[in-house]
Amino acid sequence: MSDLRTDNPLEVQIKLIRKYLKLKIMADNESFHGHAQERNHVYDLFKRTVAHGESHSALMIGPRGSGKTTLINSVLQQISKEVDLSNDAIIVRLNGLIHSDDKLSLKAITAQMQLENAVGDRVFGTFAENLAFLLSCLQSGADRRCKSMLFILEEFDLFCHVGRTQTLLYNLFDITHSAQAPMCVLGVTNRIDVVELLEKRVKSRFSHRHIFLFPNEDSQGAPHVKYRDLMVNMLCLPRTKTVSVKKNRRSRKSTVTSEDMEIDQETNSLPDTIISRHPNLQHLDQEFVQDWNAHVLSLAEEQKVLDCIEKLCYYTVNEQIFRNILFELVSKLSLNKPYIDVADLSAIIDNTVAPEHRVKLLQSLSILELSLVIAMKHGMEIFDGEPMNFEMVLHRYTKFANSNSSTQTVPRAVILKAFEHLQELEVIMPARGQDHSTDAGATRAHKHYRLQALATPTHDVTEAVTKFKALPTEIRHWFGNSVV
Amino acid sequence: MEELQNKVPCREEQLNGLFNLLGDGDECLPCSIFISGSMATGKTLCINAVLRCLSYKHVVIDCIECYTPKIIFETILSGLEDEEIEVKCETMMDLVNGLNRLQEAQLGYNPIVLVFDRAERLRNLDANIMSAFLKLRELCNLNICCIFVTHLIYESFNFRRGVREPIKLYFSNYNKEELFKIIFLQQKTFIHHLLVTYEVDNEIKGELEKPELFANFLNAFLSVFYRPCRDLIELQHMACVNFMKYCEPIIKNEISAMDLTKLWRHISPILKSSLELLYLRLSDAKAVKPSPGKENSDTDSIPHNFENMLKEELTSTKTFAQSFELPYYAKFLLIAAYLASYNSPMEDKRLFMKNHGKQRKRLQQVKAKAKISEKLNTQLGPKVFTLHRLLAIFYAILEEKIGLTSNLLAQIATLVELKLIAGSKEIDLDTAKYKCIVGYDFISAVAQTVGFNVRKYLYDFM
Repeated sequence: MSDLRTDNPLEVQIKLIRKYLKLKIMADNESFHGHAQERNHVYDLFKRTVAHGESHSALMIGPRGSGKTTLINSVLQQISKEVDLSNDAIIVRLNGLIHSDDKLSLKAITAQMQLENAVGDRVFGTFAENLAFLLSCLQSGADRRCKSMLFILEEFDLFCHVGRTQTLLYNLFDITHSAQAPMCVLGVTNRIDVVELLEKRVKSRFSHRHIFLFPNEDSQGAPHVKYRDLMVNMLCLPRTKTVSVKKNRRSRKSTVTSEDMEIDQETNSLPDTIISRHPNLQHLDQEFVQDWNAHVLSLAEEQKVLDCIEKLCYYTVNEQIFRNILFELVSKLSLNKPYIDVADLSAIIDNTVAPEHRVKLLQSLSILELSLVIAMKHGMEIFDGEPMNFEMVLHRYTKFANSNSSTQTVPRAVILKAFEHLQELEVIMPARGQDHSTDAGATRAHKHYRLQALATPTHDVTEAVTKFKALPTEIRHWFGNSVV
Repeated sequence: MEELQNKVPCREEQLNGLFNLLGDGDECLPCSIFISGSMATGKTLCINAVLRCLSYKHVVIDCIECYTPKIIFETILSGLEDEEIEVKCETMMDLVNGLNRLQEAQLGYNPIVLVFDRAERLRNLDANIMSAFLKLRELCNLNICCIFVTHLIYESFNFRRGVREPIKLYFSNYNKEELFKIIFLQQKTFIHHLLVTYEVDNEIKGELEKPELFANFLNAFLSVFYRPCRDLIELQHMACVNFMKYCEPIIKNEISAMDLTKLWRHISPILKSSLELLYLRLSDAKAVKPSPGKENSDTDSIPHNFENMLKEELTSTKTFAQSFELPYYAKFLLIAAYLASYNSPMEDKRLFMKNHGKQRKRLQQVKAKAKISEKLNTQLGPKVFTLHRLLAIFYAILEEKIGLTSNLLAQIATLVELKLIAGSKEIDLDTAKYKCIVGYDFISAVAQTVGFNVRKYLYDFM
């Protein structure tokens, strides 16, 4: 492949830019913007726990992709600059998806506290005993001073899932009330009703401190303006201090944009930890970077771009989705196409917000299969959404096929197979309550007679039929006038 | 790249998309990719070709093979490990720990791709597993990307809790021209197959190898088959079977290879009849097996064989019905069961009694007579009936008088055993309930052998 052909400097630069931007979009989980109040709140909690030995508990609630984890990462990053986080505190991060029961959680806590040796083969009676032992281990350190602990529980709602006794949460919240050790428990979730899931004993020990993180809350302007800025921020490259004099000579740039870039300079670079892993990023040519930044800024000025982003914001304000879009956009860069195309952006956004995969799926069906779907749609229109079985659909289809001399007759077995294919693709689904009401064995409905409901919205069928170019006219006609 | 496009024809857009997303070796991978598209649209082929071309470290997990989380986790870890060692991994936590350990030990920041083929099966597992894989990149410290390949659309995976959204790609089905192009690429193998089966002299061989001949055949073939079926794999198979028949007269010197109209007239009935065999793959076992042995001895017997087979298959339900060789009374019992299943007990008197009297026509009945096609008994499926009703109908349709012997009752049990009637095996005269589970075609085939007209006794057809 075209892997590392270094003969073309332009290509090298583009590859570097692409790599840098991809890293920035996907791997950077520390730079956080906006939500100053909420961020300060979290910062305050952590800081007080670490520095002053206070105990706290809190819940952070916000929809998916609103930056909850990023916020925590950035706060931890900031605190680690101010105090010696690794010596003064222990951070335990649990995730409901991974640590699916209390035993695993405890194992993970032990590992993250680096106390496996201390525990050894000890057998504990209860969960509480085990946790208390862990804490006492910490206290018996050299200076007899207890370390503070930060518990961050992501996907908090899974920790209070039904069928799971909330022993872990109970014990954690309980410790925040005792003077055993300074501890901060921060739950992160996207369920707003999460407190209702807590057991009574857990609820009473929780401080009921909620931190809400809503994506549109703090921006004064419309969300798409914020996203535009975010795009500029994501796509701009940082300039190192060795900016040359050439800057002023470049004619393409207006004075306004260069001022903008001065502001951006501080915030838009990658965290050092990531840069250090990729040494070859240093080779970015400054002149090229400037050119690129100017390109991004001019892109942001375009009305079309703004329109696209506004459209996206109508559908979703999930930042992760926006990042995915930018990722796709950046990955299209190549030697033949060194700049971002507005048409690409709008195509990607259209694809993301309204993928219409169901319509495409319907169009991928063979004509016979689509005819069955249409027959079913007609049947459900006539009988007011009642589910149908294969025989009914077949009856309707044969009625159509017989009235049309041009359609070839297809044997029944093939139609049945087509029907099963539809079932496999979940275009049609077995009607509810069929399997439960009948008892097994003798009375279970035969394959041909099992009632099926159309699982596809009718407007999707309409759209698929109207946009399907290769569809024979008689079928289109049949679709149009419903009762044959 | 060009080489790849030759290998995977008609998928340029998707290949480019995948290449762009996966990027070069040292770039960041996306979090997860979701690939959907109907069956046989080259999803797995594309992704495997791209990964092989990029030579990224990757593990392909077939979710049918890996039916429990434990097997999935262990497949992933052992696939990434360089040496063959036994890995134990029971939970998601073990997997994440294992991945992180691998990262430190050998992988570093090299790209890793996990491909979940037939990902729709993941829905049967714990719901959290799929959401965890969707954000695996965040959970562990690797440059890792999960690709989900499935024939369902993303909306069919309804995650209740919301997940990190993947980047979605769609593989649309091949259209007629693309199918033509792809099958045409197989011409060589088709010809080869043909030459293995038949003995052909050189002159004809040259004519057979002409691409025009194959193109003509393919046009005729697709004009019949494209409508009911767009599945490439099935079409390829059917094309292979039918091409042999297409070339038969040419080999036997009956029709010249240039005479297209004659060839079309020869093949069109064959295509029509083989349409019935679509998806069944019946001919597979029979057609191939005798050919290697008989190849040299007598070529004449093979066409004869084909004809026999076709006839057999066309009347398949009939032969199937006759293959049971039911005794005389059992046949009547089966017919009675069918009638009991598809007639409502209300009409029994009218159908089976000689002097049922004249029906008074009330408005209600007239209305009921205007049968709604969708509510016909034959369409709603069989109803349950009791043993008493079965026997009553049995005696009504049987002309001669015979006694109710244990022999007769045993035959009911036999019918149940043969899965022609569903019901309890032991005969309890009071509570037994049955249901006939054979179709109309079957029963009319049976009825024919005893000279009975089923339609006459079905209320729906009156």
